[in-house]
Amino acid sequence: MKKKAKTVNFSLSHKKYVKKLRQDKFIVIFFRIFVLVAFLGLWELLTYTNVMDPFFVSSPSRIIAQLGDMIASGTLFHHTWVTLYETLIGFLIATVLGYLIAVLLWWNEKVRKIFEPYIVVLNSLPKIALGPIIILWVGSGTNAIILMCVLICIVITTMSMLSAFINADEGKILLLKSMNANKFQILWKLILPSSMKDFISVLKINVGMSFVGSIMGEYLTSKAGLGYLIVYGGQIFKIDLVMSATFVLCILAFVMYSLVSLLERIYKK
Amino acid sequence: MKEILKFDNVKYFYQTKDDEIFALDNVNFNVKEQEFVSIVGPSGCGKTTILSLIAGLLKPSSGEVILDGSNKIDTKKIGYMFQRDMLFDWRSVWKNITLGLELQKPKNLDEKLKLADELLKKYSLYNFKNKKPRSLSGGMRQRVALIRTLVLEPKLLLLDEPFSALDFQTRLNLCDDVYEIIKSEKKTAILVTHDISEAISMSDKIIVLSSRPACVKDEIILNLSGDTPLKKREDSSFSGYFEKIWRELTNEEKSENG
Repeated sequence: MKKKAKTVNFSLSHKKYVKKLRQDKFIVIFFRIFVLVAFLGLWELLTYTNVMDPFFVSSPSRIIAQLGDMIASGTLFHHTWVTLYETLIGFLIATVLGYLIAVLLWWNEKVRKIFEPYIVVLNSLPKIALGPIIILWVGSGTNAIILMCVLICIVITTMSMLSAFINADEGKILLLKSMNANKFQILWKLILPSSMKDFISVLKINVGMSFVGSIMGEYLTSKAGLGYLIVYGGQIFKIDLVMSATFVLCILAFVMYSLVSLLERIYKK
Repeated sequence: MKEILKFDNVKYFYQTKDDEIFALDNVNFNVKEQEFVSIVGPSGCGKTTILSLIAGLLKPSSGEVILDGSNKIDTKKIGYMFQRDMLFDWRSVWKNITLGLELQKPKNLDEKLKLADELLKKYSLYNFKNKKPRSLSGGMRQRVALIRTLVLEPKLLLLDEPFSALDFQTRLNLCDDVYEIIKSEKKTAILVTHDISEAISMSDKIIVLSSRPACVKDEIILNLSGDTPLKKREDSSFSGYFEKIWRELTNEEKSENG
């Protein structure tokens, strides 16, 4: 942070220490990249020399060619956008709604106790089991996929936020009460800000979970999207397509996770 | 001086699922304006219960707590300082000390903000105004907590072992600081403490409680020379008071165990 400007008069041992820190960091980054390059290189080499059959395992060069074709025809952007759209909408609905439900359950202890067992059951239920019901009720297509995504994220959002709300410092609640605060003020000044850290970790979990939801939804019912490409590619034995779609999915998940991390860093300042 | 607080035959029972705990049994005492009163007693005797009753967080099971002439407790007349500083980490020092103002939205807000500013300057925390509490030492944090309480200009300050989480040196210094702040702002204060010498060095009057169910066992008016708690500790009658209170408390604990 600000202390960097003051490195002028530090002792030799401090310089050594800083140097070692930098070296360690370099080693970590170097080997991170090395692992990736080695993996891709080996993959390419083994398929190029036909030790492994590229028909079954694809290869980096084939994936690049496949992606190139799809970019040229515009289909890559279309399918990526479909999945991203479903994921984002599902993510937003689940996070907002789950958060609001948690606030409601915090607010009223009786309601909380009444719904506790239902939430526990809903949490342990594999949501994919609801697939056929979802399609019957909201029809196949985007709505069903978004709903699947919401169902997967919402319960965990509510449960995590509720436990964060309940674990707020009792002493601080007492302090606010002694200052004549009403329940809304306790919520607004203490419960919500003190649970921000938990909220960010819920966002991080939801990034992963919402992709699970949208891809699973697309497996069930879809005409487009990365999940659709993966299933379709599998059915016509076009492993290049499956790998390409998976690769794009990795990038999407990484970008979304990075955005949440950025949010975290902004918040910590 | 005018009487500001009166406990009139106060009884209190805590209700739990399996039991009813008899915490206070006919507690009677009073506190005059600008008086510094300490409450000491065996551990678990109900000292904090008394503070909660004064703060209006609990209602007496029978009897009356009369604050400033009324048995309906007006929370705004009370400033409560806790064992832990209860500072909000995500708020700056300034945002912490103005927390009560945000909640109560007083009509003379500008005056109170000015007072907050003055108090920060007076107690050498002004440079930390925009810092987060985590960059402050334990003693500084408790001073911020005290200013947060004082900004609301309470008639009566309740101090629930506010020094017990600090190391000894900081503790003695902070005692002096808090004493000086309370006296110079002409506040009335009630201190709950385990530490007999702390009680003697700071108070005008000490209320000794019996073990549970607590009643007032003794009231001791103190007469020590010295302007600060630290100086008062040097007074020749200090040890006499200490011995007296210590004996009363040990007798209590013995009779409790026997």
